[in-house]
Amino acid sequence: MASFLQAIVSGLVTGSIYALMTVGMTLIYGTLRTLNMAHGSMVMVGGYVSWMLFDSLGWGPLAGLVAASLVAFLFGILIQQVAVRPLIGKLGVDFEMTAFISTFAVTIVLSNLALRIYGARNKAVPPVIHGRLHLIEGVSVSWHSLVMAGVAVTMLLALGAFLSKTRYGLGITAVAQQLDAARLMGIPDQRVYNLTMGVSSALAAIAGVLLASVFFVSPNAGDLPLLKALIVAIFGGLGSIRGTILSAYIIGLLEALISTYFGVRWSLPLLFVVIMVVMLIRPTGLLGKPEEARL
Amino acid sequence: MLEVRGLRASYGETPVLEGIDLSVGDGEFVAVIGPNGHGKTTLLRTLSGLLEPTTGEISFDGERIDGLRPDLISMRGLVHIPQGDLPFGDMTVEENLLLGAFPADAWRKRSERLERVFTLFPVLAERRTQRARTLSGGERRMLALGRGLMRDARMLMIDEPSLGLAPVLVNEVYGHIETIVASGVTLLLVEENFSHVQAFDAHVLLLESGRIVRQGSVAELLADEIVMATYLGT
Repeated sequence: MASFLQAIVSGLVTGSIYALMTVGMTLIYGTLRTLNMAHGSMVMVGGYVSWMLFDSLGWGPLAGLVAASLVAFLFGILIQQVAVRPLIGKLGVDFEMTAFISTFAVTIVLSNLALRIYGARNKAVPPVIHGRLHLIEGVSVSWHSLVMAGVAVTMLLALGAFLSKTRYGLGITAVAQQLDAARLMGIPDQRVYNLTMGVSSALAAIAGVLLASVFFVSPNAGDLPLLKALIVAIFGGLGSIRGTILSAYIIGLLEALISTYFGVRWSLPLLFVVIMVVMLIRPTGLLGKPEEARL
Repeated sequence: MLEVRGLRASYGETPVLEGIDLSVGDGEFVAVIGPNGHGKTTLLRTLSGLLEPTTGEISFDGERIDGLRPDLISMRGLVHIPQGDLPFGDMTVEENLLLGAFPADAWRKRSERLERVFTLFPVLAERRTQRARTLSGGERRMLALGRGLMRDARMLMIDEPSLGLAPVLVNEVYGHIETIVASGVTLLLVEENFSHVQAFDAHVLLLESGRIVRQGSVAELLADEIVMATYLGT
């Protein structure tokens, strides 16, 4: 029983961080209709920003959260301008595929820049708080994990409020759902794309700061998050925010339960089997909608 | 208020508008009538900037707007209510309406605008938390009109408000358009069926194969037997 509860607790923490990592990818797919393959790099950028603040100023990860999200916001706009915008509306260019490739190129460039600047050695960042919280006999969770889950859930709620309550938040959803009508309402689509890329990248960087204390920061710290985000986004239904969050928690819980009962080495293979079976039955993912409806 | 000179537009290689001249004065009601597929919708899409003209001039309030981005044209108060309504399907009726007030000055007054639209279209108030895609055809049309009325429109352009609606609903929609006209808004309306605008004091242009082939007041066109027989089948 205790091991089951322990698995649920870890699964919820993992699920929260997966949701935070992926929701930006979903947001970008919803508005721009392409997979942003540079999304994982923003996790890496977040990690390095946090490490630099710690290494040079001794500031902890909480300061890193603010700094990393600002830096990544600007990176997002830069990627949009350099790698995505030139491809929008080009006749004879399959936007979804070319933007997929160009953002993947951005990932390669950023990883190699990180290698050049910081070297290959892993950088360590301390957790926000040390120690563990003992819930009941045999079930415990590190304080840092609780902070991770707390920050992730707070950011997701804030994103939800931003999208449904503010002028530009509604503008993002409007551009995602009906571009022509959005432009007729006076919504500047290019500014909305910049904002979407900025916000999405900032969310990924926040995940990167939190994960930096669990793993290490290295030039390819964004690779696994990118892979996980792709799996979560596709399983949840591309472009669906609710689907992404649901899928993140399902995958987080499945991973934890499989590792507890079958061992860690079965976690990925069994997870893929489950996902493949679900995708065979629902090719659009859990809450994905065919074509027109997004976000 | 709106001046169009020698406007041409095409989709790829296919020319659709072949030199349109028209002008709409302040407070005037101008109706463009013509068969489907002859460029009425393209005309409005070009005026609102969704389609870039190949040649020609469009001025609004004395300033050139051809080639501007649609959001900038819309910000100047030239509001286009598109064919097929184009609702934000997965957003609620209220969110759809709020987006009509996207320009910053309209956004500040959004609650009072919302009340005004709800008074004009009580059915939208009943449906305010419902997703737009669940509305009936008539309700969607009201939503599109309401969304266009959420801001300070200097001029409205409405594309075929009767399209796909049952006759009783067409009458209801035109009842609302009468109210809008009575409020003194400048209006450019596109319609396939002349009979819908007969009751208005409108200046009518007949659009065929991308050209204005005839124009005059409603009374003048009604008196013109050739026009009635050739273009309107009566």
